[in-house]
Amino acid sequence: MESSELKRSKDSVNSCESARRSSFPDEVLERVLSLLKSHRDRSSVSLVCKDWYNAERWSRTHVFIGNCYSVSPEIVARRFPRIRSVTLKGKPRFSDFNLVPENWGADIHAWLVVFAAEYPFLEELRLKRMAISDESLEFLAVSFPNFKALSLLSCDGFSTNGLAAIATHCKNLTELDIQENGIDDIGGSWLSCFPESFTTLEVLNFANLTSDINFDALEKLVGRCKSMRVLKLNRSVSLEQLQRLLVNAPQLAELGTGLFSQELTIREYEELESALSNCKNMHTLSGLWDATGIYLPALYLACTHLTFLNLSYAALQSVELAKLLAHCPQLKRLWVLDTVEDKGLEAVGLNCPLLEELRVFPADPFDDEIVHGVTEAGFVAVSFGCPRLHYVLYFCRQMTNAAVATIVQNCPDFTHFRLCIMNPGQPDYLTNEPMDEAFGAVVRTCTKLQRLSVSGLLTDLTFEYIGRYAKNLETLSVAFAGRSDWGMQCVLGGCPKLRKLEIRDCPFGNAALLSGLEKYESMRSLWMSACNVTMNGCRLLAREMPWLNVEVMKEDGSDDSQADKVYVYRSIAGPRRDAPPSVLTL
Amino acid sequence: MELHLGLALPTNPFSPIGYEGPFYTNVNTSNGSCSSGGGAGGSKKRRGFDEETRVVPKTLRLLLWKTDQPDDEDDPNDLDNSSSSSSAILKNDGEGLVGWPPVKAWRKKPRRHVHNGRGRGRANNNRMAASKSTYVKVKMEGNAIARKIDLSVHGSFESLSSTLMRMFNITEEHWQKSFKLAYQDREGDWLLAENVPWRTFTRSLKCIKLIRR
Repeated sequence: MESSELKRSKDSVNSCESARRSSFPDEVLERVLSLLKSHRDRSSVSLVCKDWYNAERWSRTHVFIGNCYSVSPEIVARRFPRIRSVTLKGKPRFSDFNLVPENWGADIHAWLVVFAAEYPFLEELRLKRMAISDESLEFLAVSFPNFKALSLLSCDGFSTNGLAAIATHCKNLTELDIQENGIDDIGGSWLSCFPESFTTLEVLNFANLTSDINFDALEKLVGRCKSMRVLKLNRSVSLEQLQRLLVNAPQLAELGTGLFSQELTIREYEELESALSNCKNMHTLSGLWDATGIYLPALYLACTHLTFLNLSYAALQSVELAKLLAHCPQLKRLWVLDTVEDKGLEAVGLNCPLLEELRVFPADPFDDEIVHGVTEAGFVAVSFGCPRLHYVLYFCRQMTNAAVATIVQNCPDFTHFRLCIMNPGQPDYLTNEPMDEAFGAVVRTCTKLQRLSVSGLLTDLTFEYIGRYAKNLETLSVAFAGRSDWGMQCVLGGCPKLRKLEIRDCPFGNAALLSGLEKYESMRSLWMSACNVTMNGCRLLAREMPWLNVEVMKEDGSDDSQADKVYVYRSIAGPRRDAPPSVLTL
Repeated sequence: MELHLGLALPTNPFSPIGYEGPFYTNVNTSNGSCSSGGGAGGSKKRRGFDEETRVVPKTLRLLLWKTDQPDDEDDPNDLDNSSSSSSAILKNDGEGLVGWPPVKAWRKKPRRHVHNGRGRGRANNNRMAASKSTYVKVKMEGNAIARKIDLSVHGSFESLSSTLMRMFNITEEHWQKSFKLAYQDREGDWLLAENVPWRTFTRSLKCIKLIRR
C-alpha cells in the first residue's frame, strides 16, 4: 500500500491524484461509497475521477434505468458488476392513455437473459410500463435463487399463470406488488402455489386482479407470514373475509380492503370494527370498493394514525367524506373521487392541516352530461386549510385564473402541480380569458416546482412564463394548448432542468422541434403527437443528433409527410432493433 | 345523425389528428324544413363562429331521450338500472378524443352501479337519474358554446322561450324579431318548433337550436 502511495504522489499528470495527500485504498473508497443510495449522487461521484468511477461501479447494488432503450443490458452489466436490484421503465407515459400502439416494445425478456448470466444473485426487480410475458415470469422465477421482490406497475402481457410461477419457485420472496397492470386474469389459484413452508412474504398487493381468489389459501398464507406489513386485497374479498384476515395480521402497516359493502349483522360489524382498530401500525388504507356511509364508521378508530388514505375506488358523497376525515387528523396524502364535490373538499381543508398531497379523480371522465364534480372552489378551500400541500392532481370542469393565483399564494411549496380541466381548450369560465395567468402564477410563485401539467385555453404566453420562471421544472405535460412554435421554443430555451416533455394536439411544428437540438441530449425523452411536425423535420433531427433515437409512429390513413406521433430520446445503445413495423426509426 | 361541434383556429390551418374536423350545419329556413349537412373528416368547412378562437375538437354526441318506450310517461325517477341507454359517453373507437381526459384505462369503468346499488332513500340516486333524462342541449346560431337546460321544469313554449331568452341574453323584442326555435328530432331531421304541440315537441326532440330569421 505504501509503495502505491508513493507512486501516486509522484504522479502529477492526473490532477485528481496529485491533489490527494493520502490515498484511499480502493476497498475503503468502495466501502464509503456503498453507503450512497441516491442514484444522482452516485452519478456525480462517478464523474470525479477514474478511481472514483471504478469504486462507484463496484459498490453499486441498485441501478435505476428511466428509459429501457437508453442503454442495453450488456452495457449495464459491463459497467456495474454487483447489481442486486433493478428498476426499469419502458413505454412513454402516454401509453397509459392508449396513445402508444399495442406491440410497441419494452419487453423485459432480453434484460432477464443478460441478468441471469451476469447477476445470478439478483434480488429485486421493479418494472414500470414494460411488457412481460408469462414465459418471462417463469424464467425469472427459476433463474434467480435469491429473488426477493417483484413490483409490476402499469405493465402488460402476462396472466395469473405467470404469478403462479413466481409463487411456486421463489422461495425467498418478500414482496409481490402487482399494480394497475393489463393483466389477463384467468383465476385466483395462483395463491395456492405458495408452498406450505413459505413464510417470508412481507408485501402482497393483488388489488389489480378482478377474479375471485382462493380465500382459504390466502388466509393460511397471511396466517403464516408473520412479517407481513403490506396487504392489498382485490375486490373479491368480502368484509367478513377481511375481518378473518385482520385478526391474524394486526401488525399490518398498509391495508387495502376488498369490497367494502356487504350485509353484516351487528355482531359482524363490531368484530370488523374491532379487527380494524387493532391494527395499531396502520398508516395507509386503500381499496374500499363501493364503500358507503353505512360501514365507513367501522374505520373510524383505525384512522387515528393514518397518513395515506386512498378513496379513489369509493364514490363517496361530501357528508360521508367529512365524517370520515374528522377521524383522520394525521393525514398527509389523500386520493378521492370528485363525487365528494366542493363540500367534501371543504371538509378536507377543515380536518387535514398536515395534508401534503391531494389527488381528485373524475368519477365519470367521459360523460360530459355530468354537471357535478369539483370546481375551483373546492381546490381553493383545500389551499386555505392545508398550507403544506405540495402535490396535487386535480380533474375539474371549470377553473379561473384568480382561483389558481389564490391557491398558489396559500401553498407556495408545490413540487407537483397537475391540473386537468377536462374540456380541452376551455377558458376561465368567469372572464372567458385564457388560463395563461393561472399557470404564470404557478411558475412564478412555486419555485420548487418539478412537475407541471397544464390544461384549458392557453396561448404562447403560458409557455413564455414557464420558460422564464420554471427553473426547477423536470416534467411538463401539455395538451390542446399554445398558438405557435414560439410556445414550445420558450420552454426548450428556458427550463434548464427539463427532462421529460410530453405534448399532444398542439400547433407546434418543425421549427419548434428543431429548436431543442442540444436540449434533447440533456433530457430523458420528448413525446409529440398530433402536432404539426413532419417526417422531414424528424429526419433532420435524426441526422443532426446521432445520439438521439427519433421514432415516428404513423396512424392509419394519415398523410405521408406528417409525423403523427414522435418519440425522441437519448440513447447509448443506438437505434433499437425490436421495433414493430408501425414504429419507424429515423 | 350526429352533430359535430368542432372549431379550429381561424388563422392556424392545423388539423390535429385524432378527432373529427369542424362540421357545418346547414339549416334551410325558406320552406320551413331543415336539414343538416353531413361529413366529418379532415377537411375544414366554413366556420361560422369567428369570435371563437379556441379549439373544441371534441365530437359531442347529443343526449338522447330514453327511446325504449316512447308512449310511457317520462318519469325521471323511473330510469332503469342499465346505465348505457341514455348516456352520452365519448368512445375511443373513432369518435371523440383518444386518451382524453388522461385517466388510466382501468379507471374508465363506469361507476353508475355504485349509485344505483345504494338505494335506501339516497337522494343522489334519483338526482343522477334525473339529470340524465331531462337535460337537453341548446345552441344559438353564432355562438359556439352549447348550453344545457332541464326540460322537465317547463310545460310550455312560453316558459321555455323565456328561459332561453334569459340564458342567451336576448330581449323579448329581439327574440320576436330575429330568432326562431328549431329542434332536431330523433330521426335527425331539423324542424321548426312553430306548429308542434308541446308534448310532441318534448317527446321527439334531441336538441334545440336558436336560428336567426
